[in-house]
Amino acid sequence: MTSPIQHCKDCVDLLGEYIEGTLPPERAKALEDHLSFCPPCITFVRTYRATRKLCRHALAAEMPQELMSSLSAFLGKHVPGFPCSKGDTAAAAPTAVADTARKKA
Amino acid sequence: MADLRQTYAEPAPEEPRADGQPGDRELVDRAQRGDGAAFAMLVERHQRQLYRLALRMTGSEADAQEVLQEAFLNAYQKLPLFRGEAQFSSWLYRIAANSALMRLRRKRRAPDSLGDQPLELAGPRFSAEGYLEPASNSDWSQRADEKMMSGELGAAINKAVEHLPDDYRTVFLLKDVDGLSNEDIAHALDLTVPAVKSRLHRARLALREKLGEFFDPPAK
Repeated sequence: MTSPIQHCKDCVDLLGEYIEGTLPPERAKALEDHLSFCPPCITFVRTYRATRKLCRHALAAEMPQELMSSLSAFLGKHVPGFPCSKGDTAAAAPTAVADTARKKA
Repeated sequence: MADLRQTYAEPAPEEPRADGQPGDRELVDRAQRGDGAAFAMLVERHQRQLYRLALRMTGSEADAQEVLQEAFLNAYQKLPLFRGEAQFSSWLYRIAANSALMRLRRKRRAPDSLGDQPLELAGPRFSAEGYLEPASNSDWSQRADEKMMSGELGAAINKAVEHLPDDYRTVFLLKDVDGLSNEDIAHALDLTVPAVKSRLHRARLALREKLGEFFDPPAK
């Protein structure tokens, strides 16, 4: 028999594991019992979940093709047998790569 | 700085890839025997995730590119030390995260750096009895979807993430953006799994506070 969760602080402390499904079942049940009578914690769970979703969406970034080519050219100069196209070698020097990216930014 | 040598006893089994391509372990074996093309396949496979981590950690495309160059070159040079007891990807993440953290520390020591400002993790406020304070808790989640594509929101999130302490930001990015397991993050960053969970949760709480301020700005 696990102890009930009476305070919101205890509920918030367990949220990370709860939304990942890694909380032991009896603690998850205690947390859900708390949620059943605590609207502020329901709101908290919603906004905690939304935080993860929004951040994942906002922080996803595609690697520009130009940078892939520069990386390949750089490694082609330093790693024996690393294949890279001839056109990429001009961008191989790290400083040149960085300069290119800074100008873009 | 994390030690790149591995000390685990048992190699983890490698899952077969759905695309039929050789697994990381096979490519690492070949690269360790001097096959540059195999190393190129590893780079091709992992560069996008490492780029995302480096970009969000350093906040600069130029720095991210240099972190990637340094990380992959470092990985190649240290490949003989990799003995396959853990996933190659988490070993690679460790190298890239170290490289990004070192770059950030160097920058913060620069005379014109603003990075020395103390970074604090905000969180929800509770009453003395342990109940949530109303100010911590407006329900902006219903408005989240309609704001999802907003550039203003994206900028606010980027700024909030940049202001997380480095160690917390790294854990958050690896977990909630790149989707690594807690165990892989612990290995990559030389942390215990409980430490990963704790940093992740505190980072999320701090970001939640910042998003709350974005959706419901405090009265001035």
